[in-house]
Amino acid sequence: MAIDCTGIVKLVLEHLQGSIKMSSTFIYHPTESEAEKASNSYLMSLIAIMVGFPLPIINLMATLFFYIANRKSTYFVRWHCIQALLSQLSLFVINTIGFWWTVSVLVREDEHVSNPYLAYIITVFVVNIFELAITISAAIKTRKGQHVSWWFYGPLTQMMCKP
Amino acid sequence: MKKTILQAFILLSMAAGIYLLISRVDWMKLFRVEKMTDALEQKLGDVVWAGMEEQAIEEGKEYDRVDSLVTAICKSNGFERKKIKLHIMGDSEVNAFALPDRHMVVHTGLINAVHNNDELSGVLAHEIAHMELSHVMKKLLKQMGYTLLISITTGEAGGGAIKELLGMLSSTAYDRKLEKDADIKAIEYLKKAGISPNGFADFLYRLGEKDGSLGSLSWISTHPDSKERAKYIRDEAGQ
Repeated sequence: MAIDCTGIVKLVLEHLQGSIKMSSTFIYHPTESEAEKASNSYLMSLIAIMVGFPLPIINLMATLFFYIANRKSTYFVRWHCIQALLSQLSLFVINTIGFWWTVSVLVREDEHVSNPYLAYIITVFVVNIFELAITISAAIKTRKGQHVSWWFYGPLTQMMCKP
Repeated sequence: MKKTILQAFILLSMAAGIYLLISRVDWMKLFRVEKMTDALEQKLGDVVWAGMEEQAIEEGKEYDRVDSLVTAICKSNGFERKKIKLHIMGDSEVNAFALPDRHMVVHTGLINAVHNNDELSGVLAHEIAHMELSHVMKKLLKQMGYTLLISITTGEAGGGAIKELLGMLSSTAYDRKLEKDADIKAIEYLKKAGISPNGFADFLYRLGEKDGSLGSLSWISTHPDSKERAKYIRDEAGQ
């Protein structure tokens, strides 16, 4: 049975576009210093990718430490630190599975390179590239003082971070 | 709250959907994984064997004896004898091992240590089983994996690790499970060839006793407990 995927693809693309949609509803306009710190929270994960590859824990640790260092900072900074941390947390889960699967393929006698393994690694790669793109976009926008609320992560951050 | 849960569900579904979509492609075929492994095996076999070639005895009474036994096992089990590259090495060590690309090396020390052809056939069938079950490449790739992991974590790589890797191949040190699998398969091959597996068990038992007259026991020192192997070989042979 042939499935028409056009509608699904269109819906997915709309969601993806919506995921980096800029929101103008932040309760105040951040200062230059706040914008810089908020932008840095996203840049932390990018720098950690370069330093920590292929260990997935490094980017999570970097964003976590950055959040701890800024947990008493202004609302705008805290909000973006948490959003960056939450996105890294889900990425950490995906990457950790990929990492340990790779380790087991490398060292275990009963585990080999297989189609499900390759498909998972490619999925991890796709997700990471997408995450990289939206993180760069968020870092640029927040540096300009704009508020970026990601789809799912934004409302979740809103629940966790109060003014 | 409900909206966020719904969004989480959609996000997870999307991730699962992407994975399912990607897994529909035959990546193994697309990346030619099996062909690449075969090519790698051939190259590794050539490289490893090139380092040992000088000591090889490719003709004579001993070669003919081992060749006839290997041919008999292959013929009865439907294996192509031509694919096995048999080499006899003038070495007093009691040893036999399989290298990548179906190189089978038998030391003269082993030929002198066996009491009869049944015992020698047992060891040969065991090595053929390692080849047929792709244990050689499995072991090698896992060893490469360990080396890669060590080089990633320590930041060191190079000649030392590669030398160690090649040393592992001649050591015949397989995982205990792989050894048992090869033993069980060997019994099957021997039975099909009309050879009693008890000879193989007798030889292992003797090695387990660490008979001083056998000289250097390389083959056994890297294998699981010989008496235990002799016992399950006898049990399997009796079935």
